[in-house]
Amino acid sequence: MKEKIKTTVSHLKRSGVDYADLRLVRKTTESIAVKNNNVESLSRDENYGFGIRVLYSGAWGFASSSIVTPAEMKRVADEAIEIARASATALKKPVVLAECDPYVDTYTSRYEIDPFSVPLEEKIGLLLEVNSILLKDKRAKVAKSSMDFYDTQKFFASTEGALLEQEISESGAGMEVTAIEGGEVQKRSHPSSHGGDFATRGYEFVKAMDLVGNAERVREEAVALLKAKPLPSAEATIIITGAQMALQVHESCGHPTELDRVLGTEISLAGGSFLTLDKLDNLQYGSKVVDITADASLEGGLGSFAYDDEGVKAQRSYLVKEGKFVGYLTSRETAAVLNQRSNGTMRADGWNRLPLIRMTNINLEPGEPSLEELIADTKSGYLLDTNKSWSIDDQRLNFQFGVEVAWEIKNGRLRGMFKNPVYTGITPEFWNSCDAVCNRKDWHIWGVPNCGKGEPQQVMHVAHGTSPARFHNVKIGVSR
Amino acid sequence: MIGKDKIFSTLEAILKKSPAEQTEAVLIGTTSALTRYANSTIHQNVAETDSKVYFRTLVGKRMGVASTNSFVPGDLKRTLLNSYYLAENQRENPDLPELPSKTPYPKLQTYLKSTASFTPRQRADKVRRIFKKAAKYDLDIAGSFSTSQSEVAVVNSRGVRAYQPLTGASMNVIALSPDSSGYAEGLSRRVGDLDFEAIADTAIKKCLDSKNPQEIKPGRYDVILEPCAVGSIIEWLNYIAFGARQFHEGTSFVSGKIGKKVLGENITIYDDGNDGGGIAFPFDFEGVPKKRVYLIQKGIAKGVVHNSLTAIRDEVESTGHALTPEYPEDPMALNLFVKGGNSSLRRMISSVERGLLITRFHYINGYLDTTKALMTGMTRDGTFLIKEGKVKHGVKNLRFTDSMVRAFSNVVTLSRERQVINSWWQDIGCLVCPAMLVKNFNFSGKTEF
Repeated sequence: MKEKIKTTVSHLKRSGVDYADLRLVRKTTESIAVKNNNVESLSRDENYGFGIRVLYSGAWGFASSSIVTPAEMKRVADEAIEIARASATALKKPVVLAECDPYVDTYTSRYEIDPFSVPLEEKIGLLLEVNSILLKDKRAKVAKSSMDFYDTQKFFASTEGALLEQEISESGAGMEVTAIEGGEVQKRSHPSSHGGDFATRGYEFVKAMDLVGNAERVREEAVALLKAKPLPSAEATIIITGAQMALQVHESCGHPTELDRVLGTEISLAGGSFLTLDKLDNLQYGSKVVDITADASLEGGLGSFAYDDEGVKAQRSYLVKEGKFVGYLTSRETAAVLNQRSNGTMRADGWNRLPLIRMTNINLEPGEPSLEELIADTKSGYLLDTNKSWSIDDQRLNFQFGVEVAWEIKNGRLRGMFKNPVYTGITPEFWNSCDAVCNRKDWHIWGVPNCGKGEPQQVMHVAHGTSPARFHNVKIGVSR
Repeated sequence: MIGKDKIFSTLEAILKKSPAEQTEAVLIGTTSALTRYANSTIHQNVAETDSKVYFRTLVGKRMGVASTNSFVPGDLKRTLLNSYYLAENQRENPDLPELPSKTPYPKLQTYLKSTASFTPRQRADKVRRIFKKAAKYDLDIAGSFSTSQSEVAVVNSRGVRAYQPLTGASMNVIALSPDSSGYAEGLSRRVGDLDFEAIADTAIKKCLDSKNPQEIKPGRYDVILEPCAVGSIIEWLNYIAFGARQFHEGTSFVSGKIGKKVLGENITIYDDGNDGGGIAFPFDFEGVPKKRVYLIQKGIAKGVVHNSLTAIRDEVESTGHALTPEYPEDPMALNLFVKGGNSSLRRMISSVERGLLITRFHYINGYLDTTKALMTGMTRDGTFLIKEGKVKHGVKNLRFTDSMVRAFSNVVTLSRERQVINSWWQDIGCLVCPAMLVKNFNFSGKTEF
C-alpha cells in the first residue's frame, strides 16, 4: 500500500501542485444496542478509501474514492487538481500554510483488551443484565444499553515528505432508562447520556464503568423524578457535575475557539464565534480559576492521537489561562493568519472528508476542592447532572442546557430532587461567575462521539476532561 | 454510478451463497461534490465516490447486519458471512418478521443528467456571480452549493428487486454585513431549477434590511415563521414524535392520542415519498413502496410511520419508512409536507399589529420535554420587527423556548405557497412547508447580535 501512496504523491508533485496530501483510512465499527431485554441491533461496518487534498495555484481541491487501485488514485489526484483549478477562479487571495515538520512515524493507541476480541456473547450478556435491572420497576418502561467499538487505521503522506501510520482503538458504552407514569416521562442515564462515555481505550474501559453496579441507582432516580417538582425559575448558585460540564466546555469554549469559525468559514452551517481576533489576549473569558487546555497528547481521551490529519504532531496548549482568552484551535492554513504554527487540530471524519479544525481533548483543568467540600461550602443552590438538551447561538454566546436531574443544596447538604432543570446564560458572563473547580479526584475525560461540523456534515470523536464546578447568579428554570 | 444491471447481478450472485434462511442486500452509491464559500471566496471544494452495501441475514428469529463500502465480490462475500456470524450469535427477537416480499413501486423520474454532469467550473461560475452581486452592496457571501448523483438498490431472497437512481442540487447563501445577515436556500433534483438569482437577491435583501438591528425584550410575540423556520421545527417534531419507536416508547406528543385533537385545526402534516412536489423517493431501505401517511390531519393525530418490524407489532402494514438495516427499530418520515393555507407572506405581514418576522432558526433542540414538544432555539440570519402591518427594522437575535404543541395550536394563517426545504436526508428527502403566522410565541432570552 505504501508504494501505491508514494506513486500517487509523486504524480501529484509532477503535476505542479503547491502542496498535496493523501490519506488512506480503514475503519471497522461494531455496535450493539439492547432495548427492553431485546438485542435490537447488532452490526459491524468496514469502511475503506482514500482522499487527496491539493493546493494548486493557491486554491484547495479535494477528491476521494472507495476504489483503492493505482488507476483510481491517479484519477482522483487529477480530479482534485481540476477542482482546485475551479476554486482558483473564485479566490480572493492564495492560501498560505504554516510550516510543519514532515514526520515519518508509526503510532498505535494503547489498550489492555481488544474490544473486537471479546466474545459477542459476553458483550450481549452484560447489556442484557443491565437491561433486566433497569426494568425491575413497573414504572421503568424503556431500558436501553449499548456498546460501540471502533478501530481506525490511517496512512498519511504529503508532498513535503511526511509519511505517517496510526492505529487508534476506541470503546464506549452506556445505559438509560425512561420512567413513565400518568403522562409524566423522566429519564436517567449512566455514565453519561447520548450513548454513554467513550475513550481511546479497549474493553477495559467498558468494564471499569460498572454498568451493572449503577443500574439500580439509575432506575431508582428515574422513578423518583416522576414525583419530583419542576426546578423553579430563579437566579441561583449551581454546581454542574463533570458529565454536563463536558458539554458546557464543548459548546461554549471548544467550538468558539476553533479558528476556522472565527475566520468565518463555518458560517454557512454551524456559525461563527464571538472570540474574534481582537479578543485574543485581551478578553477575560472567565474567572481566575478557569484554565482551559487543548491536549491531544493526553493518554486515552477520545480526542487523543499522535498526529492530526495534516501531519502535525499532537500537542497541549492553553485556550484560557487564569480566565484570560489566550489561544485558538488552529490548522496550518489558519495558524498562518496569526503567524503561528498549527497546534494540530485538523481531523477528518473518514477518508472521504476534508480535514477541519476539530476539538481534541478540550479540558477544564482541575482546581482545589473536592466535590464534597464544594457542596459543604454552598449555602443555597442546586447540583445539576447529566445532559438532556443543548442549544447555543451561532456566535456561541447565548446558551441553554437542560439536564436530567437537579438536587437542591441547603446549608452545605444535598436535599431533594427537581425535574426538568434548565439553565441559561451568556458565555463570558457565565464563566466569569465560576468561583471553584473541583480537584483531580473528581476529574474525568468524557468522550463525546457525535460532534457535528462542516458541509458535507462530519461527525467527530472529541473529549473533555472536566470536574464539577460552581457558578453564581445563573438563570435556572427558564420561563416558558 | 455502478448501474442497475451490475448491482442486481452482483448482489444476486452473492445472495445465492448465503447460508442464512433469508438475506437482504442494500446498496447506496454516491458520487457527490460540494463547493463551500465564505468571505466571498471558495475555501473548500470537494468530491466523493463511494458505495456502501449492507447485508441483513435472518437465522430463525435472529438477525445480524454487516456492511462494507467495497463492491469487490470477495469483500461482499466476507461481509455477508460476517452478518451471518452476527445473526448466529444474536438473541432471538420474537417479533422479528420475515423480510418483505416483492411489491411494485411507482416509477418516478428522479435522475437528471444535467445535474449529474454539473462540473466544479460550473459551480464556481454560479458562485462567482453571487459574490459579484453582493460586492455591489459591500456584503460578503458564505454558503455551499452541492450537486450529486446516487443510486439505491434493495435485493432480497424473497424476490425484492428495487433500484432508483437519484440526483440532487442544493444551494444556501448567507449575505453578511458587519452587523447583519440574510439567508436563502434552494433544493431540487434538477440543478437548472435552482433560481440562483432569486436565492442571492433574497439573502442580500434580508441582510441589507436587517442592518443596525435593535434590541427588543424577550416575551410573547406574534410571529411569522418563514418556510425555513417552519421546516426546522417540523424536522424536530418528526425526530421526536412521528416514528413508531417514539410513539410506543411513550415519549411522543401523539403517544396514546391517535384520533384525538392535538394541534390546531388548520395543521395537516403528512409524509409522501411519491409526491414530486418534494424530493421524491419511491421505496424504503427494505424495498417497501412508500405510502402517503397522514401524521396530523386537521389537528388530529392520525398515525405514525412504520417499517416491517414495528408494523408487525401493531398488526398493520409497513408504511415504507425503514431506514438502513442498522436501525431496525427506527422507521422515519423523510418526505414531510405541511399543508398550506390560503394566505400569503405579504398578507400575513399586513395583518400583524406588532410582531416578528423570522427567516430561520439555529440549533433547535427538542429534547426538553418531548411529550409537550417543548423546544428551544435561536433566531438567525434575518429577524425583523413588524409594526402596524409593515416590516420596520431588524432586531437582535432571540432565544425561543416554547411547546410546539401549544404553538401549532395557535397558528392563525398559513401561506398557500410552499417551499422545498433541505433536510438531514439530502438526496432522499426534504420538507415542504408554508409560512405561518403564530400567536403568542414565547421568547425566553436574547443575545448580543
